[in-house]
Amino acid sequence: MNFVETQRQLGITPLNAMIGSINPLFRMPFDTVNKYKGSVIAESFKYHYDNNEFYRDLCLRKEISPNDIQGFTDLHKIPMIPVQTFKQCDSHLLMTSHLKDIEYEMRSTGTSGIPSVSRRDRVSVDNAFESVLMTYREFFRISRGMGLFLFPPTEEMPEMGMVKALNIFAGMLDGSANLVKKITFNPAHAVEKLLSWEGKHTRHIIGPPFLIHRLVKHCIDNEIKLNLEKNSLIITLGGWKQFTGKEIPRKDFNELCSKYLGVQIQNVRDMYGLVEANMLAVECREQEKHVPPWVHLSLRNPRNVLEEVEYGQRGVIAIYDPTCTSYPGFVLTEDVGYLKEDTTCECGRNGQKLVYISRMPGVEVGCCAINLEKFIEEKEKEVVSQGGTNV
Amino acid sequence: MFNEIISEHFMNPRNVGKMSNPDFVIEIGNPICGDTVHMFLQVDSNSIKDVSYLSYGCSTSIATASILSEVVKGKTFNEIASYQKSDVIKWLGELEPAQNHCVDIGYNILSECAKPKQRKLTENNFLVEDGGALT
Repeated sequence: MNFVETQRQLGITPLNAMIGSINPLFRMPFDTVNKYKGSVIAESFKYHYDNNEFYRDLCLRKEISPNDIQGFTDLHKIPMIPVQTFKQCDSHLLMTSHLKDIEYEMRSTGTSGIPSVSRRDRVSVDNAFESVLMTYREFFRISRGMGLFLFPPTEEMPEMGMVKALNIFAGMLDGSANLVKKITFNPAHAVEKLLSWEGKHTRHIIGPPFLIHRLVKHCIDNEIKLNLEKNSLIITLGGWKQFTGKEIPRKDFNELCSKYLGVQIQNVRDMYGLVEANMLAVECREQEKHVPPWVHLSLRNPRNVLEEVEYGQRGVIAIYDPTCTSYPGFVLTEDVGYLKEDTTCECGRNGQKLVYISRMPGVEVGCCAINLEKFIEEKEKEVVSQGGTNV
Repeated sequence: MFNEIISEHFMNPRNVGKMSNPDFVIEIGNPICGDTVHMFLQVDSNSIKDVSYLSYGCSTSIATASILSEVVKGKTFNEIASYQKSDVIKWLGELEPAQNHCVDIGYNILSECAKPKQRKLTENNFLVEDGGALT
C-alpha cells in the first residue's frame, strides 16, 4: 500500500492526516511510522524540486532528483539548506512561493543582531498552527487553567518565533497574563499574579528558561515557597545558555522549580524547535524530547555533513519537515545533539527522541530567548542609570 | 500581504552587493526587530555616483533598500535632501501596519545619503559558542 497515493484517492491530505493522528501514530511501531513519514517527506521533496529553481539547481549539482527519493531509506540523500542561509541578503532565492503569497514572516535574532527570517504562505501557516497545537495537546493535554506567560505579548514582538509558538497556549487555557511588558520583567508581580489564582485555577508557567529561573531566584532571595497544583506545568522554550555565556543547569532548574514553585519534577517540560521549522520536539513526563511522527531528524557528522551518524552519536541536527511549502523544510541547523538509541519510551510513545546539547562551536550564540534576555538586561541598566529602581 | 512594488523589488533586488572600496557607508538598524541595511556609496563632490547595499530582515525592509538605492543613485546631495517622508510613502506603495516601520528605514537612508559621514562599517562583536560540544 502506498500511503500517500491511497490517502490522496480518498481526498485526504496525507500530511494533515498524520498531524491529526499524532496520538495513535506515536503508539504505532517505529518502522511503520517511518514508512508513512518517508512517503510524505518524499512528496514534499518532489514539490520543492518541481517549484523552486534555486533548490532544483542545488539538487542537480548533487545529482539528486525525485526518482532518487522514494521513501524513508532515501531521506538522508535529500539536499539540505544550511540554516544561516535564512539570514542572508539573498534569502529570496530560498522561496518556493512568491512573496505575494506570503502571509507571515517569523524571525529569530541572535547576539549578532542579524535576524533569521522565515516566510510562510497560507499552507505553511495552516500546517504550523496545526502541528504545534496538536503537539501541545498530545504532550500537555491542556484545556483548562491559567497561564503565567513569562514572555512578551505578541503585539509587542509580533514576529518573534518563540513568542508566537508559546502564545498558542493562550487559546487552550481559561486565561493568561503576560508578565513581560515593554521589555521589562518584575518577578514580584509574577508571584502576586500566581497567588491571585491560587485555589481557583490550575496554574501553569510558560516561558524561556532564563525568565523562569529569575522568578525562582526571586523566590529564593525572598524566602517565598509557592505550592502550585498537582497538574501544574512548567513549560520552557529557548536556550539554556544565557547571553553572558553562562548556562542554567537543567537538573538544578528542575529541583529549584520543585522546591520553590511546588511543581512535580516530571511536570517541568522543555521543548526544542527553531524558527525555520514548523515543529517542536516536546518532553514527555520522562523528560524525553519526542520528534513529531511526520518529521525526521538526521544527525550529521560535523566534519562531513553529508554523512549521517548513528543513533547515540553526537552530530549536527538536520530537520526534514514536510509541513513547509513556502521554502524547502530540509534544514541543516547549527545545533548539536544526539538521538537516543532506544526508540521506545516509558511514556508509551515510539519514535525519535532528541537530546539537544548546544550550538555548534564557533557559531553565533543566539535565539529569541537570548535576544530577549539581552534587551531586558539593557533596559534594566538604563532604568538604574536614570535613577529609577529596578523592582 | 505584500504589495506589487515590494514583491517585485524583494524577488528582483537592484544594486545588491558589497562594494569593495566605498567612499562612505551607511548603517541603518532596528535593534529590536533586527532589520539592518548597510549601504555603500561612491561619490563625487556633489552627487552619489554609485550605490550598493546588503540588507537583512523582513521582506519590506529588503525591498525598501532596493527601492531607495534606485532613488539615490546618480542624484545630487541637494536633490536627495529635498525628498520628504511623503515621497518614501509613495515609493513603497500601500503597506500593512506591521510594514510601516520601513517608511522610517527608507527616510533614514535618504537622510544619511544626503550627508554621508561614516567611512567604515562598525565592527560588530558578538558572543560565539565555545568548543566542547562535539567532544
